[in-house]
Amino acid sequence: MQITPDEVIVFTIWGLDVNATIVNTWIVMALLVGISRIITRNLRADVPPGRWRTALEVIVTAIQSQIEEITEKSARHVMYFAGTLFLFIALSNLLLVIPAFSPPTSSLSTTTALALSVLVAVPLFGVAKKGVRRYLKSYIEPSVVMLPFNIIGEFSRGISLAIRLYGNVMSGAVIAAILLSIAPFFFPVVMNMLGLLTGLIQAYIFGILAAVYISTATADPEPSAHKEDYL
Amino acid sequence: MSIDWITVVAQIANFLVLVWLLKRFLYRPILDGIDAREAEITRRMSEARKAQEKAQAAEAGYRKQQARLLADQDAMIEQALSATENERDTLLAAARAKLEQEQKEWHKHLERERHKFTAQLQRAGEETLLELTRKALHDLADDTLEEAIVRHVSKQLQVIAGELSHAAGDSTEAVASTRDALPEAARLRMQAEVEKLLPGMTLRFATDPQQAPGLILRVGGAQVAWTIDSYTDEFDALLDERTSARVSGRMQNDNG
Repeated sequence: MQITPDEVIVFTIWGLDVNATIVNTWIVMALLVGISRIITRNLRADVPPGRWRTALEVIVTAIQSQIEEITEKSARHVMYFAGTLFLFIALSNLLLVIPAFSPPTSSLSTTTALALSVLVAVPLFGVAKKGVRRYLKSYIEPSVVMLPFNIIGEFSRGISLAIRLYGNVMSGAVIAAILLSIAPFFFPVVMNMLGLLTGLIQAYIFGILAAVYISTATADPEPSAHKEDYL
Repeated sequence: MSIDWITVVAQIANFLVLVWLLKRFLYRPILDGIDAREAEITRRMSEARKAQEKAQAAEAGYRKQQARLLADQDAMIEQALSATENERDTLLAAARAKLEQEQKEWHKHLERERHKFTAQLQRAGEETLLELTRKALHDLADDTLEEAIVRHVSKQLQVIAGELSHAAGDSTEAVASTRDALPEAARLRMQAEVEKLLPGMTLRFATDPQQAPGLILRVGGAQVAWTIDSYTDEFDALLDERTSARVSGRMQNDNG
């Protein structure tokens, strides 16, 4: 039984094995970019939006409002990053319903890559906002003694992100596979429906946590402490 | 459960590319479109607000103009009413004046008619009286009226002969004036009386159709006369008195 698409080699190019995770990622990317491109190619301000454009606007404004609730201000760069995380993970998890399609998010490599992206993006956003010295100073606050704990906390956040997403998606896929072998006609449907729900929730959680981490790194100490407690 | 680090690197690259692609083809067009639409809505709202303000200003202007027109209309109505009243007063005054004038003219006409009628009546009375007197004299005394008149005047002449002589002064001619020519006998008698009472005075006979029946003897500035006027005057006074009494009685009956 294959539990990760990393092991499925689709083709090899220049000696490098291109596995199903990467190919399926490209498929998700193509779908996201293609749909966006088709809907947004002829936008005009004086023409009322159609149904598909309205749907996209609803998604984008919902993401924007969520980001603004967290960061308490308009932060488009954060939205580009966290919104892309949400859309990519959500579409990958939704494609779970397609038979023989392994979501990229069911690969620990993908979730690790996304977690590493968040792990790198958080200090980058912090440095971009505060400057190197002020950002690094936040690691020794409230005292120098907290430096190792802050560093451990930073890495543990990334690891928890990766493991949480992988565990949820993978567990859903594994359970679906097991139940498929036991009761092929009933349980897969139920598990797929449950997988859609948990997939969307996981996408939301991953995106929100990424936005919270970034806002924590870019915000002042007092509000950030409050958000940490909230999460 | 293992991690393929090549796949991890590839997925990181894929993710970054996806971020860039979605930024270019999804977020920016959608957000820019929303911003442009909001700007368009804001612009239209601003234009609508300006149009509304303009409309309100125009409405206020029209209301002010309407109020001014109403005020002008009231003033014009007031002026027209005043002019109408003045015109009415003028016309009434003119009508009253005209009526009064017509009444005055009517009264004058009535007065003239009355005088005319009275004169005709007097003339008729005189003629009648004259005829009656003449007939009575002829029937009773076998005498003519003219001779009786001459005798009457001669009697008066005898009484005031001295006064007439004094009043005559340097005048040497006496004039006996009648309406109709005197008969020859009466002329001779009159001439004899004048020569007897007023020596040196010549008598000339004259007729005057306007004169009342009778005889008037003028000597210088004095005169002696008998005419039927005195009798007809009394007759007129009697008629006036009777007529006035009759008119007064008729008015009392009308009021009663």
